Amino acid sequence: MSESPAAARSVLYRVCHETLYHYANPVTNARQLAHLQPRSTGWQRVLQSEVKIDPAPGELDGDEDYFGNRVLRFAIDGAHDSLEVIACSEVEVLPHAPAPDSDSPAWRTALAVPTDFHAPGALDIMQYRVGSAQAPLMSEAGAYAAQSFNGNRPWLGALYELTRRMRADFKYDTKATTVFTPVADVLARRAGVCQDFAHLMISALRSLGMSARYVSGYIRNDRAKTSATPGATPSAASGTDPATEALTGADASHAWVSAYCPGHGWVDVDPTNGKIADTEFITVAWGRDFSDVTPLRGVVLGDGGQKLEVRVSVTAI
Amino acid sequence: MFASYPVAKARFDELLEDSSRPRVHWRGLHAELVATNPLQIRDRLGAAERQIREIGITYNVYADPKGHDRPWDLDVLPMMISAEEWESIEQGIIQRAQVLNSILADLYGPQALLREGHLPPQLIYGHSGFHRPAHGMQVPGGIYLHAYAADLARSPDGRWWVLADRTQAPSGAGYALENRLIVQRIFPELFQSLRVPHLARFFAALRESLMGFAPRGDGPQLTVLLTPGPYNETYFEHAFLARYLGFPLVEGGDLVVREGRVWMKTIDGLKRVHAVLRRQDDSYCDPLELRADSALGVAGLLDCARRGTVLIANALGSGVLESGSLLGFLPGLCERLRGETLRLPSIATWWCGEKAALEDALERMASLVFKPADPADRFESIFGQDLDAAGRAALRQRITARPERFVAQELVRVSQAPVFTHGGSIGARGVGLRVFAVATQSGYAVMPGGLTRVAGAADARVVSMQRGGGSKDTWISSSAAVDASFSLLRHTVGPQDLVRAGAGITSRVAENLYWFGRYSERCDDTARLLRVALNPALHEAEDEGNALDPLQALARRFGLFGDRADSPASSRLLLTAATAADNPYGLAANLRQLERVAFNLRDRMSADNWRTINQLTRDPLFGKPASLSQALTGLNRIITSLMTLAGFALDGMTRDSGWRLLSLGRRIERLLFQCLALQSALDEGVASGLSWLLELADSVVTYRSRYLSRPEWLPVLDLLVRDAANPRALAFQARGIRDFLGKLEDSFGPCGANEFVAAMAALDALDPEVDLQPESAQLRTTLAALTSACYRVNERLLERFFNHVQSHHWASMGRAPA
Repeated sequence: MSESPAAARSVLYRVCHETLYHYANPVTNARQLAHLQPRSTGWQRVLQSEVKIDPAPGELDGDEDYFGNRVLRFAIDGAHDSLEVIACSEVEVLPHAPAPDSDSPAWRTALAVPTDFHAPGALDIMQYRVGSAQAPLMSEAGAYAAQSFNGNRPWLGALYELTRRMRADFKYDTKATTVFTPVADVLARRAGVCQDFAHLMISALRSLGMSARYVSGYIRNDRAKTSATPGATPSAASGTDPATEALTGADASHAWVSAYCPGHGWVDVDPTNGKIADTEFITVAWGRDFSDVTPLRGVVLGDGGQKLEVRVSVTAI
Repeated sequence: MFASYPVAKARFDELLEDSSRPRVHWRGLHAELVATNPLQIRDRLGAAERQIREIGITYNVYADPKGHDRPWDLDVLPMMISAEEWESIEQGIIQRAQVLNSILADLYGPQALLREGHLPPQLIYGHSGFHRPAHGMQVPGGIYLHAYAADLARSPDGRWWVLADRTQAPSGAGYALENRLIVQRIFPELFQSLRVPHLARFFAALRESLMGFAPRGDGPQLTVLLTPGPYNETYFEHAFLARYLGFPLVEGGDLVVREGRVWMKTIDGLKRVHAVLRRQDDSYCDPLELRADSALGVAGLLDCARRGTVLIANALGSGVLESGSLLGFLPGLCERLRGETLRLPSIATWWCGEKAALEDALERMASLVFKPADPADRFESIFGQDLDAAGRAALRQRITARPERFVAQELVRVSQAPVFTHGGSIGARGVGLRVFAVATQSGYAVMPGGLTRVAGAADARVVSMQRGGGSKDTWISSSAAVDASFSLLRHTVGPQDLVRAGAGITSRVAENLYWFGRYSERCDDTARLLRVALNPALHEAEDEGNALDPLQALARRFGLFGDRADSPASSRLLLTAATAADNPYGLAANLRQLERVAFNLRDRMSADNWRTINQLTRDPLFGKPASLSQALTGLNRIITSLMTLAGFALDGMTRDSGWRLLSLGRRIERLLFQCLALQSALDEGVASGLSWLLELADSVVTYRSRYLSRPEWLPVLDLLVRDAANPRALAFQARGIRDFLGKLEDSFGPCGANEFVAAMAALDALDPEVDLQPESAQLRTTLAALTSACYRVNERLLERFFNHVQSHHWASMGRAPA
């Protein structure tokens, strides 16, 4: 099968992720934890990454978390009534996705437990096979996945089919779920957002005994090519110039799934869009589920409400 | 006395070595019991309880909010263990603690045990207690496990087995100490002659080790005991241990992270915390990196642990070892980590997540008990022997579906020991033993003794601390001499400790004390106001004015009618404010606020104090619709109790900053109320008479003794405004507040004393010739000035001392919606 010209070469992106909190009453003692700077991988080079924070934090510390993601911790002691965090990065993504019909071993190969855990990455295979709070083991999810993973089907083919089937079976609906909706409800309602679909698919794969992890990042939102991409609601911040609108229209962070098979390694698939992730996906961080890689989580002292605004722009440069 | 002691069937008997003869290490106790009248033992128990209560260490001090005392669950007969046997338990516990500490160091470090196949990775990775953010922490001294406890039981062949390891925040050491303090008073001679080793050294080792291992800097070493708060079931043990060890008892809100370090918020400002002995589970300790919904934690605590700027005992994440699934792997891990055979074995336990173990467990289902592999996965233990064929099939299906959730454990018939029954005879109960160890600079030290746990029923299969079970003191009959002088209790506290008295009052405690003062006075004002307003005798007063008008105006201004402020006032509204339990503005509501504040101060309240508050909120007055005369009787009762409460503060509290804040709260509240009362009197004017005002200010007797006339404006106002000797007079309260603030300012800098300067000058400037009349503008200005001075001081106090605990915190998480 011939590859499309777009996937044949690497793509350079500039990604900006703006988070703005408005607090009803001034807050103090804010401590925040950010997963906003993309990690480097075998197919992704981070050329530049910076985070601007307003008000300026009294403490700021960059680190790598347990999963190898870049994490930023910062604290603002004084009273403030808003918090603005703007993370901008330049990232080059190389083609890395296997063609959906490329050869792969029978799917049961993916159930194997590594015999040698000294091998690099071997422990990770088990790390992402056990259930986690937001992507637990669940027989109903396993049964849903088993419709694709059966007989002697090749692993990649089954995985791709599951990805496509989820795209077809589930309705993208921001009203259907909240951040607290368990995957069992997502499965029952057949609706949700990318985060729900990712969690459900991870649950399904793990429940069959395979390894799967949650990937947080961005998707190039080029409507001309992927007009059906859900989540591409126009952003208030999108430019008015029609030439750039198509490329800067993405307005939120995205989530998808990475699944493992010996011989293939980790392959990223996106159940929201029903495709194997390639150069149009920019990876920020991965973990067992969303809670490991929340873009920005924090604790503040305060007694009022808060309003959150998030804007994401992804521009190919 | 032993006539009813049953012969052990198919279980080990701790007391008897054959059907009649006690074992050597029990003979002393046995002989004492045979020689003693059971009634005497009961008397001694009663005396010991009273004595303990007097020195403030009792199970009953910390009564629960419903007013029920905690059930007395101590059996007076100590569990006896021979010194030889104890030594092998001790060695076994030390080795186990070392092994468990090394496992933690590996799991939160290189994970070699997983790579090498000594532990299945999925066992650890799938455990909810494995906290990835804790990976790579720098723990002081390489110690993860500072306080360790193991639950032991003895099988019919006489061997001890470990049933469970407690590695997170083991409870029970405080209970063991309490039991000891009581039981040694019941058998004082026996305790001496058997040379039972004291427990105090263990606690000293705990205290000194925490301080020794902890990082230093930013002032004197400070260790705090972190509790989830008064709603926790073992809160009284936290309070007891904190007091015994001399650690401030703090809640998450009392601590704050700044510049990568942990600080305690006190009314003296922030104090660096070097070590945290926590009684809070891992996942609740830091809402930023662990459970985001935890309101109990300290945001940033984990980051401090990661930097090694604070010692946390036990290290965050140590709960991962609290799983039956680990027990089966310990012998191999002990070999691998220490090159030794495990001395103190665990009871045979299999993790069903392993295929071979699963098959084995399903085969022998009838003889096993099935438990959750992950303590967070709460389900009751399932005894295979209880199940019929259908039940076994159902269980098999349940386990096969999710085998990794289960462990299978052999049943052990635990040994029996004598207990003192209510009838005064001696019976037998199954027993288990919780043993405690603490990491010291020279290795693990084991508490000589421990908490013996007693099964609830004679034939119980499991011994647990759950409801129904009890506990015993544990005596090791020692051959070595015992250093009897060693104790951490007050009488051995040196002068250096006394210097610290009063320091370390956390802002939370200070704030609660202040509000306790304000609410107790507010309740008093409310009750008095209602009593005067409802009193029919008022209308017969000699000055014959219409007294109800100013009283109703006052009640409305004071907020007793709530949102019905616009409706015409009536006796009915007053009666409702006095007696309705559900009226959100009345007396009952104010008393509930008082109780809520008092509840947060429970560890500082005496039993008497707490009981009085309980009686107040549960007064029969609020039970059902009351008649006028019932209401008045009830109000009298409540006013008396409130005066008792005030007496405790006056008579029973140390004069430290905390007491000053409490008193300040009372005085500010009273001054505000008196200003309001006078304002109402002035507004309603001459027609209303003044008897009600004197009555309200509790000054009738004084007035009558001074002036043999009916109330007149000049003398009444003099008595209630200018008389510095009358505790209800403005001058008295204003002066008191200024002096209190002055004392606080000596220690803490400006607290708002100057706010009172102008108001007091106005008060002093009042001219009896012209200003002690209802028409005086000067008098009204003075009242307004005093009132606003009170509000400003209140604000200053909030800013100065409490501001950082006023608000709650929340964690926020966005979501990826695309």
